[in-house]
Amino acid sequence: MTTFIDYLLSGISSGMIIALMALALVLIWRGTRVVNFAQVGQAMFTTFVALSVQTLTGNWFLALAVALIAGAVLGVIVQYLVLRPVKRTDTAGAIIATFGVLIALQAGAGMIWGGANQGFPQPFSTAGIEFAGRVWPFSPYDFLTIGITALMVVILTVIFKKTSLGLGMRASAFNPEVARLSGVRVNRMLSVGWAIAGVVGAVAGVLVAPVATISPNSFDLLLVFAFTAAVIGGLDSLVGAISVGIFTGLIFSLVSGYGDASNAPIVALILLILNLLFKPQGIFSHHKVREV
Amino acid sequence: MLEVHGLSVNYGPVQALQDVSLRVPPGQVTAVIGANGAGKSTLMRTLAGLEKPAKGSWSLNDETLTGKKPEDIVRAGVSLVPEGRSTIPDLTVEENLNLGGLWRSKARRQLAHSEVYRLFPVLEERAKMGADTLSGGERQQLAIGRALMSGPQVLLLDEPSLGLAPLIVTQILELVSRLARDTGLAVLLVEQNAVSALRVARTGIVLNLGQVVTSGKAKDIASDEQLRHAYLGY
Repeated sequence: MTTFIDYLLSGISSGMIIALMALALVLIWRGTRVVNFAQVGQAMFTTFVALSVQTLTGNWFLALAVALIAGAVLGVIVQYLVLRPVKRTDTAGAIIATFGVLIALQAGAGMIWGGANQGFPQPFSTAGIEFAGRVWPFSPYDFLTIGITALMVVILTVIFKKTSLGLGMRASAFNPEVARLSGVRVNRMLSVGWAIAGVVGAVAGVLVAPVATISPNSFDLLLVFAFTAAVIGGLDSLVGAISVGIFTGLIFSLVSGYGDASNAPIVALILLILNLLFKPQGIFSHHKVREV
Repeated sequence: MLEVHGLSVNYGPVQALQDVSLRVPPGQVTAVIGANGAGKSTLMRTLAGLEKPAKGSWSLNDETLTGKKPEDIVRAGVSLVPEGRSTIPDLTVEENLNLGGLWRSKARRQLAHSEVYRLFPVLEERAKMGADTLSGGERQQLAIGRALMSGPQVLLLDEPSLGLAPLIVTQILELVSRLARDTGLAVLLVEQNAVSALRVARTGIVLNLGQVVTSGKAKDIASDEQLRHAYLGY
């Protein structure tokens, strides 16, 4: 029983990371109907930027802040340079173009920072906390991860539910034509969406790097997990992305714990197939509600 | 006054509108009637900036609107209620209304808000509910309310009777014509239901296969038997 709890505890943080990355995918999908496979590339790139800032200044929080700004800027750049021109002609083409951006970002990062795995300094201890006479697989750094993820979710919820900007963004996602007829500058809203998704992805990257390593390809698996969580959550549901993301992290932790870590991607694919067979619209999708 | 000069719109090889000119004066309802496929919705969508015309121009009080984006046309004072009750079911009633005036100052938005609630009290009762819980007639009221939130000088109403019970259609159209009379709003009403439209309109314009067949006093058009048989089917 304690083993089971241990596995669950060690899965929470990775669940948060998957949830954030899935959230970034959903934010883009809702606005543009494009799955942005470059999202992990953007996160990888901004994490390298953070690493450079960290190495120069030694300040982890400054590194995080710079990564957030870089994430927003990079998101808008990707949208302007690649997605807008391609999407105008073809949505499927736009999705493939995001793969192109991913490869370009990975190659670019390799040229700038090298292809080897690099360590990322830890702002807090990642050693398990001792409590009630034993060491639990839950560190001060895990608290930080959960805290920052929760903060992101609260901020996003307030933006989307309580502000004019959020209302404009939601309307643009649900019905761009009605939004335009209401005077909303839909293209600007989409750019803001790309910027926010970039920020969310950047947070995920900076949070996961200290407990793993960072290389141009180190987030590839994260893409698989986040995509799985986003699809199962319904692709257009923010709540779905978060809750299924966390759940996915727990499942993978159990799979890795009782079996082998290399089985996790296979389990992800099995979950994805089961979902597509039995609930293709996803668990939290809006469309489900509309059909009933 | 909204003035349209020689508007032509093509969908590929099909001419949807051909050299259409008309004026929409303030304080009254101007009705465009005609059969299915006459180009009525194309006219409305073009005026709102959603379709690109091949030829022609339109302006509001001498400010040209030709070539402007939909979001700029609504900010200039021309607001469209598109066909098929353009509410967003995922948002609440209040959010749908707020959407219509998002770019305006908070004070102006609140003023417009209370004005819309005065016109459509049912919307205030349902403010916090999802727009998907409304009935067809309430949804049409919400769609019109959303358009009024932008404080328009011209309201473009595309086929508001679609799928609604006759009694509700009459109520909504009479409310709109009273609004025009009381506030000086210019209303361009497009309807397949010619009888209801001509009853509330001062001027009528008959559209057929993308061209203006005739225009004149709504009363005269309603009583012109030949016109009715040829183009309006009753």
